[in-house]
Amino acid sequence: MEKYVATIKNLSFTYYGAAGPALEGINLQLRPGEFLILTGPSGCGKSTLALCLTGFIPHGYTGLMEGTVEVKGLDTRENTPGRLAGLVGLVQQDPEMQLCTLRVMDEVAFGPENLGLDPAEVTARVRWALAAVGASDLAERDLYSLSGGEKQKVAIASVLAMRPSLLILDEPTANLDPRCTAEVLAVMEKLRRDEDITVIVIEHRLERLLPLADRALYMERGRIVREFRGEELSVQAAQYRPFYRKIDRAGKPRVNTPAPPPRLQVEGLAAGYEAPLLKDVSFSLYPGEIAAVMGDNGSGKSTLLQALLGLLKIFRGKIYLDGTDITHEKVSRKAGWIGLSFQNPNHQLFESTVIKEAELPSLFLKGCRPGENRRVLSLLEQFDLLAYRDQLPFALSLGEKKRLTLVSLLAYSPPVLALDEPLVGQDPHRSELLLGALQEHRARGGVTLMVCHDPAVASAWCGRILFLEQGGLIIDAPTEKAFALLAARGLTHYLPGSSSGFITGEG
Amino acid sequence: MFLRRSPSVVSGYFPGLNYVPGQSFLHRAHPLVKLVLLVGFSITVLALPAPMAGIALFFALLAAYGMARLGPGFFWRKLRMIVLFGLAMVVVQVLVVKEGLLLAALPLYFFSLEIWSEGLRGGLVMMLRFLNIIGSSYLFVAVTNPNNLAYALMQAGLPYRYGFMLITAMRFIPIFQRELNQVRSAQMAKGIDLEGASLPKILRAVRYLLVPLVITALGKVDHLAISMEGRAFGLYHRRSYMQSQKLTWRDAVFLASAFIFFAALFFYFY
Repeated sequence: MEKYVATIKNLSFTYYGAAGPALEGINLQLRPGEFLILTGPSGCGKSTLALCLTGFIPHGYTGLMEGTVEVKGLDTRENTPGRLAGLVGLVQQDPEMQLCTLRVMDEVAFGPENLGLDPAEVTARVRWALAAVGASDLAERDLYSLSGGEKQKVAIASVLAMRPSLLILDEPTANLDPRCTAEVLAVMEKLRRDEDITVIVIEHRLERLLPLADRALYMERGRIVREFRGEELSVQAAQYRPFYRKIDRAGKPRVNTPAPPPRLQVEGLAAGYEAPLLKDVSFSLYPGEIAAVMGDNGSGKSTLLQALLGLLKIFRGKIYLDGTDITHEKVSRKAGWIGLSFQNPNHQLFESTVIKEAELPSLFLKGCRPGENRRVLSLLEQFDLLAYRDQLPFALSLGEKKRLTLVSLLAYSPPVLALDEPLVGQDPHRSELLLGALQEHRARGGVTLMVCHDPAVASAWCGRILFLEQGGLIIDAPTEKAFALLAARGLTHYLPGSSSGFITGEG
Repeated sequence: MFLRRSPSVVSGYFPGLNYVPGQSFLHRAHPLVKLVLLVGFSITVLALPAPMAGIALFFALLAAYGMARLGPGFFWRKLRMIVLFGLAMVVVQVLVVKEGLLLAALPLYFFSLEIWSEGLRGGLVMMLRFLNIIGSSYLFVAVTNPNNLAYALMQAGLPYRYGFMLITAMRFIPIFQRELNQVRSAQMAKGIDLEGASLPKILRAVRYLLVPLVITALGKVDHLAISMEGRAFGLYHRRSYMQSQKLTWRDAVFLASAFIFFAALFFYFY
């Protein structure tokens, strides 16, 4: 039996056209059955390392690769990802985009069938893989009918069915709500307990993963800068560093002082496409308030933000801004008052350079001429984006794109910010930058609605929680009270301490 | 809201071609048997110009709808535009063709409406052909699970790369439709006015929607390629199938009966 499942020696990789290496001087040996966490800031090279281990680098991406990567003794330079498929498997972030058939059983059988295995062997593997992720009951289901968490379980099972010695999960919970995240984490716990395969999990949020890990590696600028093992790992798990600092809650209306008139008021809002997805939603936000919009995937969070801007059909209800009814104003006019950033930043990008993209809404909504809005430059600098000002926006990382869309909104200072998961893809430092900018917006009397899956962020940064379930607003309360109400309803995945936790490269 | 309204207007008159899940005999029949029958039915429809043959085939089609437990309501809902269009063809033929026997002459205010046998026959044949071809295609789609059809074609020898092109297209078309809506909403949220249906607005919409849509699609294709290739897709020339779709004796009897029926029609009407 080989001592190591995979061996990486002096690995460096520079993407074609990139200014610097994505990976530099990586040395790593993975033992059979080891559970390893790979973490570090956005763009530090974690996903590139996964692509190297699966053979997509050098076979699918052009660039300069130095050093060697061997999986079960096979050099990845000489073996394509297809040839390595039975040895190493990769599960990606977005469950939607890695499933290629229409039924669960077909999806899990897809890999073994490609290997040309006997149908009886394929069937046995499908049964085993679905059982390994606790999804045997999903076998006959159509993929479109599954939740995000269920899709990710199927994606993991479909890779497991290849019987890999090494399984890599690249931020498998990044697109999932807390309930689905808990399901996927339970799968990882089950894999750790029951299966003897080497697992690498690339993650930012580690609280529940640290107790499972044999090792955790912290990467920065393409290098492994710190390794945690044994006792050190337990210490990190016990006192993981919550990076969010508390804020004062001055933004909330105080009970014993006369409340100012609401900035944004929503009354009995019902909105959707053909039929209302959002049902009878009412709430008021006061100057300076930051509200977390929470709920399961599909509960209506994004729908609420889009309905405020009039992007969906409004069946009933009213929206007031500073007391003025804006319900039926044109979208292009409302966009001047409500700055909406979407969950997927790729949907909003269009221009040929970062600077043009950042100032585009200012041109449409404030009538500025190109280069006139000086705030754009200072915001780009504040958000670590100035270095890319003449680059193509689509070439940025997910986290950078999200910051860019926020810059384009802040540049024209709308009184209401509606942000759909702005923290996805951001490392702790960048998250703090973003949240700091929201504080400035709040100080100017602006209100913010922020779709957020992380209770720690809601707890530390938001004065109010709006919790949606099946299109209805079931909780609208100040943060602590909202958490108490969530606990009373048994929605424990949404309570602080249930999903956060980071480790850093600091000693 | 031009882009969003249009599909609903169109779909009102031309309801979607969708698989309707069910457990009828026609639903459970082998997909390739249904495909061969559709081809056989269409050839018979086109080859036989006699109105009686068209009527016999139309009743056979209605019987097949009944077998699939898709009642007259379904037929009318899906095919009302086709029926109305067919009737319009009959009217045009009656008005234009003045050959054969004069069947009736109705004196009207300005002219006399004459119905000639060849006009009526020609119109009926065209309407029946139209109804039979489109009606049988609708029925095929309604009772054939597209996933099973793709797998059946691959097991019958279609190279699996093409078969999976069909399957991934079926999986991703609804996803890309959703993406288009999202991109449109996201651009409007930046203050770009895409509301209205004027030509400049449409050109503007294309300009602002196309780039993000293509870029998003390419990104998704990358993920999909990694997922498929990472599971050995394309590694070997042939692949195996967990569930083989086999012909049953019921399929054979069904196929034989249908072809006897087609042969009888050819015998009487060709």
